[in-house]
Amino acid sequence: MKRVEVKLNLEAVAPLLDVVKAASDELGPRLAIDLPPPGPDGEFHMEWARELLSGQGDDIRVLLALFGSEFFSTGVIALDPTNCEPVLRACSALRLRLREAHLKPLGDENLETGELPLEDMPDEQRKAFAAYVFLATLQELLVLHLDPTIMEG
Amino acid sequence: MADTKTRHSPAPAASAVPQQQDVWRVVVLNDPVNLMSYVVMVFKRVFGFDETRARKHMLEVHEQGRSVVWSGVHEQAEAYVFTLHQWHLTAVLESDEAG
Repeated sequence: MKRVEVKLNLEAVAPLLDVVKAASDELGPRLAIDLPPPGPDGEFHMEWARELLSGQGDDIRVLLALFGSEFFSTGVIALDPTNCEPVLRACSALRLRLREAHLKPLGDENLETGELPLEDMPDEQRKAFAAYVFLATLQELLVLHLDPTIMEG
Repeated sequence: MADTKTRHSPAPAASAVPQQQDVWRVVVLNDPVNLMSYVVMVFKRVFGFDETRARKHMLEVHEQGRSVVWSGVHEQAEAYVFTLHQWHLTAVLESDEAG
């Protein structure tokens, strides 16, 4: 994929970054997915989880780096071949965490369709949902640039 | 497309039982979060599937709750499960003995 610069609406995105940062902090010591129960070799299972956790942290740092001081002055994020995969994975991890921590009560079917009564949601949950949708949009944008045939299908 | 950023799985667990002839299945389970387009992309990148095959497996996961995406020797199957976990897909390893 070529380098892509995306201009975001600062006023809309900036408040969501607090939610994203909080979710990333929550993920610090834990994996976004549940691993299958450990087999007889507990040490192997722990090493497996340690490596996943390390990679998850690396990916999230790449995502957060998109929203540094340059973003706050220009509203632009730059996606390129070096950050596209980590950002895709980080979005997935953070969406899983947002669902787990804030959005589960809404029901998965409603989350999938996006048909939710935003005005009735508590502020914290509404922001979490907005961040959840924002991260999905970022993923779709990346998939579109990496492999346009997928989005056409 | 090669996944140059993907880490290798940890060294396989030692086993006293020879496993060369065992067939292991990599099974992806449904989750309510990951986008269909994302799952298709992951299948294409990790397994080298073409669009049709990747989409077929994604739909199996979505509609039936699971899809066997690969089968073969234990070490390679384990490496695939690890890579799928890196992409935050819920994947498990099953042996033929498990039915």
